[in-house]
Amino acid sequence: MTTAQFRTLEREHRFKNPPKDKSDFQLLYDAVRPHVGSFNALTEGPDGGLLNQAVKDIGTKTIFDSNDVTRLGNKLKIRVDSVQVAKPQVPSTDKLSVVRNTYPAECRERMTSYRARLLLKVCWSVNDGEEISEVREAGQIPIMLQSNRCHLENLSPDQLVNLREETDELGGYFIVNGIEKLIRMLIVQRRNHPMAIIRPSFANRGTSYSHFGVQIRSVRPDQTSQTNVLHYLNDGNVTFRFSWRKNEYLIPVVMILKALVETSDREIFDGVVGADTGNSFLTDRLELLLRTYKNYNLYSQKETLAYLGDKFRVVFGATPDMSDISVGEEVIKRIVLVHLSNNQDKFRMLLFMIRKLYSLVAGDCSPDNPDATQHQEILLGGFLYGMILKEKIEEYLQNIRLQVQSDINRGVAVNFSDRKYMSRVFLRINENIGQKLQYFLSTGNLVSQSGLDLQQVSGYTVVAEKINFHRFISHFRMVHRGSFFAQLKTTAVRKLLPESWGFLCPVHTPDGSPCGLLNHLAHKCQITTSPSDVSEVPKLVYKLGVSPTASAMNISGPNVCCVQLDGRIIGWCSHKQGRVVADTLRFWKVEKKHGIPLDMEIGYVPPSAGGQYPGLYLFAGASRMVRPVRYLPLDQEDIIGPFEQVFMNIAVTPAEIENNIHSHVEFAPTNILSILANLTPFSDFNQSPRNMYQCQMGKQTMGTPGVALVHRSDNKLYRLQAGQTPIVKANLYDEYGMDNFPNGTNAVVAVISYTGYDMDDAMIINKSADERGFGYGVVYKVEKVDLSLNRKRGDPITQHFGFGDDEWPQSWQDKLDNDGLPFIGVHVEEGDPICAYYDDILGKTKVKTYHSSEPAFIEEVKLLGDDNGTSEFQTLSIKYRITRQPLIGDKFSSRHGQKGVCSRKWPQIDMPFSETGIQPDVIINPHAFPSRMTIGMFVESLAGKAGALHGIAQDATPWKFSESDTPADYFGEQLLKSGYNFHGNEPLYSGATGEELRADIYIGVVYYQRLRHMVNDKFQVRSTGPVNSLTMQPVKGRKRHGGIRVGEMERDALIGHGTSFLLQDRLLNCSDYTQTSICRSCGSLLSTQMSVPRIGSQASTRCRRCAKKIERVLPNMDELDIWEDGQGTKFIGGGETTTVAIPFVLKYLDSELSAMGIRMHYNVGPQ
Amino acid sequence: MSREGFVPPTAANLGNAASGIQTMKDYGVKYICAQCAVNFSLSPKEPVRCKECGHRVLYKARTKRMVQFEAR
Repeated sequence: MTTAQFRTLEREHRFKNPPKDKSDFQLLYDAVRPHVGSFNALTEGPDGGLLNQAVKDIGTKTIFDSNDVTRLGNKLKIRVDSVQVAKPQVPSTDKLSVVRNTYPAECRERMTSYRARLLLKVCWSVNDGEEISEVREAGQIPIMLQSNRCHLENLSPDQLVNLREETDELGGYFIVNGIEKLIRMLIVQRRNHPMAIIRPSFANRGTSYSHFGVQIRSVRPDQTSQTNVLHYLNDGNVTFRFSWRKNEYLIPVVMILKALVETSDREIFDGVVGADTGNSFLTDRLELLLRTYKNYNLYSQKETLAYLGDKFRVVFGATPDMSDISVGEEVIKRIVLVHLSNNQDKFRMLLFMIRKLYSLVAGDCSPDNPDATQHQEILLGGFLYGMILKEKIEEYLQNIRLQVQSDINRGVAVNFSDRKYMSRVFLRINENIGQKLQYFLSTGNLVSQSGLDLQQVSGYTVVAEKINFHRFISHFRMVHRGSFFAQLKTTAVRKLLPESWGFLCPVHTPDGSPCGLLNHLAHKCQITTSPSDVSEVPKLVYKLGVSPTASAMNISGPNVCCVQLDGRIIGWCSHKQGRVVADTLRFWKVEKKHGIPLDMEIGYVPPSAGGQYPGLYLFAGASRMVRPVRYLPLDQEDIIGPFEQVFMNIAVTPAEIENNIHSHVEFAPTNILSILANLTPFSDFNQSPRNMYQCQMGKQTMGTPGVALVHRSDNKLYRLQAGQTPIVKANLYDEYGMDNFPNGTNAVVAVISYTGYDMDDAMIINKSADERGFGYGVVYKVEKVDLSLNRKRGDPITQHFGFGDDEWPQSWQDKLDNDGLPFIGVHVEEGDPICAYYDDILGKTKVKTYHSSEPAFIEEVKLLGDDNGTSEFQTLSIKYRITRQPLIGDKFSSRHGQKGVCSRKWPQIDMPFSETGIQPDVIINPHAFPSRMTIGMFVESLAGKAGALHGIAQDATPWKFSESDTPADYFGEQLLKSGYNFHGNEPLYSGATGEELRADIYIGVVYYQRLRHMVNDKFQVRSTGPVNSLTMQPVKGRKRHGGIRVGEMERDALIGHGTSFLLQDRLLNCSDYTQTSICRSCGSLLSTQMSVPRIGSQASTRCRRCAKKIERVLPNMDELDIWEDGQGTKFIGGGETTTVAIPFVLKYLDSELSAMGIRMHYNVGPQ
Repeated sequence: MSREGFVPPTAANLGNAASGIQTMKDYGVKYICAQCAVNFSLSPKEPVRCKECGHRVLYKARTKRMVQFEAR
């Protein structure tokens, strides 16, 4: 696609005839590929996918049937052999369904989950005998849409439409209880690369601990990870730290080294020091390292392993039949550098890490920045899903062990060879893994024994809101730094670093608390979802002169170039040679002839004075961010990653390429922007925060969430009735198919202060434009009525939809059909019946009523069957349509972060008009521009005007114009050609007087978005209403018809203005004004009470405290002074009471204080 | 209207007839299957299933009766 076009007919045709082969918008599918790809990797790929690799890694659990300490008993070895995930299907008990597949549309409508059966092949053997296997069903796990377990995979748009989906259903999310959920991408440390870190909190670990460390996040082939840290102790020692099941363990590093391979002190010394024997800093520390280890008296590998095994036997839950040595081996296998399978490799890597740590301490290398994209990768949703599944499967095996143990303890006959016993064990444990995953997806909470090497326990999933398509697609490009960093006081993590160029969008991040933590991927950035084949690489590297590690045992340190492939040291060479190797590998890789994968990262870190630790680091694993750039020597596409990018010279435009400096050039400068940031027209002319605001507001626009709205049951859905394609749009707008989901309307905008109603970011809408449908929208709300909610499980159904034979108001039939459900299209207001049901127990027909102050129309009524499709009609979903024409107070915005509130709908006759008779749809105030500097909006206005006059679409891609070729000239010429002012301003005539305005007015066409914040959802008024029963003050909250608090600051302002009557009105009269009686003589509020009136006299208010109780009436007492309380007790006196006006809370305060034994006394005056 | 009241025998209600279950009278309200778009009526206390394909989501059809309200 070259330049922006309208393609109206093409679009029309595509809507009528959805493509039968493939979608026209491949870019959209690319945008969600990280999600779908990572989910697919669970079940496909080498060794049967990640899940099957995971169950291999879990291994075998051993159980003994004896409770006796002296005797082991029979041995049961149980393992999960393989995992299978089916496709979503109707339950097998359902015999009626013709279509056996369950499709996502049904799940959305019925508010169920899109899930499929998880099958585990469990194998066990008794006393190492023959292995018996059984396939167990472990519940139903939610399935990601468009994944290889989804029925929608690889369907054409035409087929998707037939399955009631959007033409371009991208997938990448799950449906859980009818809600679309996705697992958000998290930024984690780059895998298999030791990172030098200086962190003050490292010193908190113990007395001699320093803040130096080297940390590596090792990732197993099944994508689960284990972090290993080397700590530098102030005396020069090094300890190895890891965490296992949320507990931290520290081991001297030499012990790990000795446990890995049969080695000598000499070998360790040489492996770390290499040829730098003159470096006394290093040799001293190594000597100490080796000397302090002598205290353990462990020399051989076997001894060390046995020692480790003895210490970790309990932690690892090892069975008594395992020797200490094999427990030790298990520890090494599961903990130390788990990305490597070979102990020799682990040994070398550990030596490398020790050396890097010493270099960091000596200042020979700088610490690596964990907040830089260079040292980061993305934890993908599918991988996280797999990690949780793996843990749940392991738990499943543990539960079997626990079940057997409890059987032994309770004295149940345990017989492993009996199939009946085994199936009893299976029956008694919770096999429903699917339910646990559903919980994870619906809450985002991680319930885990190990913590999965992650820093947070909640916030993993988000709802994929379909407010409009911009918001929806943004969810899939969103990467979060982790909620741990959100609480961090320092702002270092939020910084935009140059390392993220081309990977994370510099514009698209929200402002406010998640700023800089919630980023979006640049639109060309991809995440690898499977490791690439690098089997050829070592051979090629050796051919280029790198010496293999086996022959180079005593080469080490930053003076030589270490060559690592995915965290495995494959060789060494000189730095000079390292550069040649890196350059040659890159040439070969782009040439695609030597079997080097194109997406392999060739991170050559050159030697420097105290810079990053040098070496040649090759990465080809999954989860890396990669992006395409053009490789100049071959003029072909190269895929680069963030690690290597830092050390590469990539020209942004072809014009700036310099010989012998640049090796690459960007395909387009817009590649650094996210999808949304790319859609902002002429964003290069705006002040940068305005582009950020637009990225936010584009996601809050009342636009088009989708086309298949009839088949959706979202709680709330916004829809713009007559959306248009923008006249001014970036080319990418079409490539992403945004015209399928229009997000706003082209409006004639005049920048003028006209009526006084456009002050302070308010805008005036032409009343006739409003009547023509400018910005008209509707809100769809769905209410689910479930009669079975009132019923306990297993109880018979007693409530049935429909009318009963009893008497009920005939007026119900105005809204309700004979079946008790509302007519489609009927208008309902608050209190109107929305469905009728007959209650068997009461023998009465009842109705549910509409609870919203906003009138609505019934758009759809859906009858929902239950899961099995056997029980009678109990659930119903009603979709309401609430019309939302633009009102005064509704929010609008252009695409330049220029938001405003509609302040008036001005009659067309009073609007200014131009010489051609054009009247603006929208008037905004010129004051909106000087401080905000959104020149892009001026350019858009100009381009839109020229485009409208010539009937062409205008390309608004940023960085297309320059100082010498300005858009003002380009579009000015176009305007000139059609007989308009070159600069875009025109003489306007006052609509009121018909006189020409003194100044020419800037008028043009700007694409306007209607934001979803509307007065109808926000306004709050109250004169009287509900009050809090304790304080008698108005309640808060719009929903409860409460008041708006006059808070401390408002109070201060009122005091400052001296408006005491207003203050009293707000704080007392309109709040908890009460009249109450008080005793004048004792000054108590609480002791007054009404006397019981005697015949012929009025009741009076008396103070009980001041009154004297009398046992019997004495003759000297005046009959009229005596009063009686409710119990008939007689009193005399206490008549000194009066009525005062107080805030009711005072009375509450008084009673609370009296409960604590404090009496409040009021001096009442005048006496 | 009367023509619409007739329900053609389908696999589901033939089975009912054979087993002696009396189909209860319906309200004359039509429902549309979300999957196969077949138009049929449903009697009370019947499970929510499409008569043709067994689908479990039914849309209520728009009534033939005039639905009227003030336009402001």
